[in-house]
Amino acid sequence: MFGGLREKLQAARNRLGSSIQAVVKPADGTEKGNGAPEPPAVPAAAPEAAPAPVPEATLAEEHKKVRFVDKVKTLIIDRELIVSEKDVADALSDLEITLLECDVALPATDAIIGQVRKGLVGKHRKIGESVDTLVVNALKTALLEVLGNGFDLAEYIREHDRPVKILFTGVNGTGKTTTVAKIGFFLKKQGFSVVIGAGDTYRAGAIEQIGVHAERLGIKIIQHQEGADPSAVLFDTVQYASSHKIDVVLADTAGRFHNKANLMNQLDKIKRVMKPDLVIYVDEAVAGNDAVTRAFEFDKTVGADAVVLTKADMDSRGGAAISIAHTIGKPLMFLGVGQAYEDIMPFEPAKVVDELLDGGA
Amino acid sequence: MDQRELMMLQQYLQEYGQQAEIFVQQLQLLENGRMEALAAIESLQEMLTSDDGTVLLQIGGGASVRAKVVEPEKVLLAIGAEVIVERSNKDAVEFLQERVMEMEASAKKVAETIDKLRAQMNEINKRIESGYQQAMAVEQGQD
Repeated sequence: MFGGLREKLQAARNRLGSSIQAVVKPADGTEKGNGAPEPPAVPAAAPEAAPAPVPEATLAEEHKKVRFVDKVKTLIIDRELIVSEKDVADALSDLEITLLECDVALPATDAIIGQVRKGLVGKHRKIGESVDTLVVNALKTALLEVLGNGFDLAEYIREHDRPVKILFTGVNGTGKTTTVAKIGFFLKKQGFSVVIGAGDTYRAGAIEQIGVHAERLGIKIIQHQEGADPSAVLFDTVQYASSHKIDVVLADTAGRFHNKANLMNQLDKIKRVMKPDLVIYVDEAVAGNDAVTRAFEFDKTVGADAVVLTKADMDSRGGAAISIAHTIGKPLMFLGVGQAYEDIMPFEPAKVVDELLDGGA
Repeated sequence: MDQRELMMLQQYLQEYGQQAEIFVQQLQLLENGRMEALAAIESLQEMLTSDDGTVLLQIGGGASVRAKVVEPEKVLLAIGAEVIVERSNKDAVEFLQERVMEMEASAKKVAETIDKLRAQMNEINKRIESGYQQAMAVEQGQD
């Protein structure tokens, strides 16, 4: 999963590391001779004098930059090095292109670059401390910031009144029905009782498909005939769950595009009737940036509380997984990673980041 | 094997069939993408070697016009995430070659999944067949 992204991040990490190292080397040379640190103090005097007449904007900029004199001072007194913006500028620009090439959305890319820059520039680094540790930590913090906290469904269910009603929405053909079955299996394994509502009454064979899944998994399913009102099916499902003290209602719905007004109105009606606790948007990871754009539109029109990305095992770029939480501000809950029922994994940002920066500190 | 079990197997078969169909479509998309990228690589390389920089520009509907490329050295390239950057011809070709390799790797994975689904479908087919034969044998025995 996300093999391409992992490789590219590895390359970017090496580049960042070596660009910091490159700056370090000549400084190390001057540091060896005892008399050597003295000469830099002379050119340093010029920038000291210059700031006085400079306008405020430039001063602010100056403040951000790590001054040469500080660098020398820290190098001699604390035996530390300060990473400056210039040292990492090229490598950061490379990292930016790398992320964009992996279909990471522009706002998420900007956020990652900003965080990495913040994590590196102005950092004091003890001489002899590994550059790689510094870079990996900065990358880790940046990615974790963008990936958000994930969403622990089991905990959510434990903390809320039963039945917890979960509505699944999304465009056609992304694997919604299979995802409903997989999450049903996941929740059953966690010890929850589950009922599935076959709310996709539109697509031919959809009711049979979810019916087969439910039968295989030993999960009760509530279904009406093809063409029936999905709101009615899902209302019945909630009623069944309430009267049988079932923990979770999983409501499947027909796939739809956000720009189809009548189908979106139908979804609104479903929401009014079944009052879901969670609306989950399902899309495929392989759709890359398209998935992010669609999730954004869905969230705007019907709302979404969390996202599930399917077919993540086929996706080598990982762009959607990296940027979706940051772009729409809703957490990523699960990743679908194969054909079998157990091939669904809760999205744990720390684990994903560790895997992406495998071999790091 | 009773009638109900046979019906269920039929439904499995249908479901696997639908899944396989989706993956076949995906494979087709990847193949189209790959062919497009290869065509772009060829055009970019040819552009540099052609004497006066004249190329055939397809304008849709099967119509083409002769066009002169003003700067064959500079290429505007969609690198992903809806971002377009300017690259040199050589860099653009390298980028596209990498993309082709990525698409080939993905296509291989998708093809493997399709193979797996087909194997499962064959298995189910065999079971259905033997179920029918059993049912027939029972029927004949009753006659």
